[in-house]
Amino acid sequence: MAGLTSFVYNTVFRSNVTMLTTVFASAFAMQLAFDTGSDRIWDSINRGRQWKDVKVRYVQKAEDDDDE
Amino acid sequence: MPALANTTRAIARSWTQHSLPVARAGCVAMQSRDASTSTFESPFKGQGSTKIPSFGHYKKTGGDENGPKLMSYFMVGTMGALASLGAKATVQDFLVNMSASADVLAQAKVEIDLAAIPEGKNVIIKWRGKPVFIRHRTEGEIKEAEDTKWESLRDPQKDADRVKKPEWLIMLGVCTHLGCVPIGEAGDFGGWFCPCHGSHYDISGRIRKGPAPLNLEIPEYDFPEDGKVVIG
Amino acid sequence: MLARSALRSARPVGAAARNAASKTASRSVSTSSSTAEGASSWKTNALPVGATAFAIGTVAWYAYIAGRDVDAMTPAEEGLHPTQYPWEHAKWNKTFDSQALRRGFQVYREVCASCHSLSRIPYRSLVGKIMTVDEAKALAEENEYDTEPNDEGEIEKRPGKLSDYLPGPYKNDEAARAANNGALPPDLSLMVKARHGGCNYIFSLLTGYPDEPPAGAVVPEGLNFNPYFPGTGIAMARVLYDDLVEYEDETPATTSQMAKDVTEFLNWAAEPEADDRKKMGWKVLAVTSVLTALSIWVKRYKWASVKSRKIVYNPPIKSPILSKLPKPTNKS
Repeated sequence: MAGLTSFVYNTVFRSNVTMLTTVFASAFAMQLAFDTGSDRIWDSINRGRQWKDVKVRYVQKAEDDDDE
Repeated sequence: MPALANTTRAIARSWTQHSLPVARAGCVAMQSRDASTSTFESPFKGQGSTKIPSFGHYKKTGGDENGPKLMSYFMVGTMGALASLGAKATVQDFLVNMSASADVLAQAKVEIDLAAIPEGKNVIIKWRGKPVFIRHRTEGEIKEAEDTKWESLRDPQKDADRVKKPEWLIMLGVCTHLGCVPIGEAGDFGGWFCPCHGSHYDISGRIRKGPAPLNLEIPEYDFPEDGKVVIG
Repeated sequence: MLARSALRSARPVGAAARNAASKTASRSVSTSSSTAEGASSWKTNALPVGATAFAIGTVAWYAYIAGRDVDAMTPAEEGLHPTQYPWEHAKWNKTFDSQALRRGFQVYREVCASCHSLSRIPYRSLVGKIMTVDEAKALAEENEYDTEPNDEGEIEKRPGKLSDYLPGPYKNDEAARAANNGALPPDLSLMVKARHGGCNYIFSLLTGYPDEPPAGAVVPEGLNFNPYFPGTGIAMARVLYDDLVEYEDETPATTSQMAKDVTEFLNWAAEPEADDRKKMGWKVLAVTSVLTALSIWVKRYKWASVKSRKIVYNPPIKSPILSKLPKPTNKS
């Protein structure tokens, strides 16, 4: 545990430059993760209500009409 | 009203109390100076004022000192990352505000049915308030446009760079000189001729003669399916 | 409240207070100042301060008694207050139900659109919310719109495009009035926002027509009785009846079902951005709450060294100044 903490400390936080780089890189990653995650939660809360859930019936229908 | 009187009394009392230590320090300084010796002595000779109390209680005992450091840097770093995330989103939202709105974008595209344009004909349509020339070029015209020695032109450009499909030449009908609308199938080079100041464009819309500095501009366009073009 | 107003009113007489302070201060130094003088100074302040406090107190008391909920309206004038309904789409974590919007748009098109316009909704905004691109295009092409002037300056007709707005039933307001006994059917684009009570009001209005006006109600000629409408006399007659429309998803088209669907649709028309707004809102809340917790932690961390600092001061032994002064010697 101690070895791990000092390793992380020495590689990431020791130098200001690496720390800032890590911070901004993780900000980017966090945004990606947060957006994806919150979209997923939002869609699961609103399952069946949004157009992307309803769309299937009508798109399907339009294609069927074309086939006929 | 008695409250007011009380307040003033309290203020007065605190003033007198505050001024005391200063005066006292001055007195101490005066009294401690010995007339017989000229060397400086510190006036602060209270008992034990330099005795530092123990902070041992707060000290971390044992273990790696990097742990707490890591924790604090992690918290600060996470706060920075989250703050920059929020700042980025805010700035982005404000900038998006400045771009074209949905109703403008919806009108910014024009869809044209190309099947109605016979070979060797010009069609002028309006797009964002400007005329757009659509020319269905013949084989001969395509060959002429491609064979022209473009390197020596005023605004050197290959014909292939100006069209997506060789038979369809689509460009803004605004003369690059002073913005007149050139006349089709006219001029010395079989292309367009601007009547205002006599600029001649060839069958690829390139400037060949006259005052205009640049070739006729090509708008953004796309062929989503055969026989249809979407400008914008 | 009273104490605070007294304090506030004490500010103008700050000069006097300062006077008094310096007086008491000087009294503590030299005990010769008279107490009578101090007494007279606070007596002169008492009158203005007391009067100000009384005036402020009176206004505050009056505002407390009469400052809220004062209106001369009767329920007949402002309409019966609509019932609160548990709108699913109005919840902070719920979007509009696209299926309901689709049904509501069908009700609008088949029923409302014969009198009411929806002039702020373009066909393109229906895409991706209510119908597919092809459906919206087909719908747009059913209507004709003016073109830009052609070479001869004539304005021709062209089929609608996605960028066009839904057409109104009348050419202009005058035509609308002429067709409706002088009453103007309002545009419905922002109706949910424009009426007190929003969705509840519209739903109550649509479903609130009694079979016949209650005894004693005065209904002017050409108007209909609706208790939810301000004034109770509304030019619009009841329009929604069971099975008036046939839903394509085979939902039973009861009056209340249609009213509910069209209300939700009108709410979408008034606030098409609501879904994005809600989603963004709770994302912002999530980020800022974590950020708040972090910043509290960081603040405590930064202040820890300051707050746990000990400042020790041992004053020198007090002794009278006079005893420390060199004594005059009488030896000379």
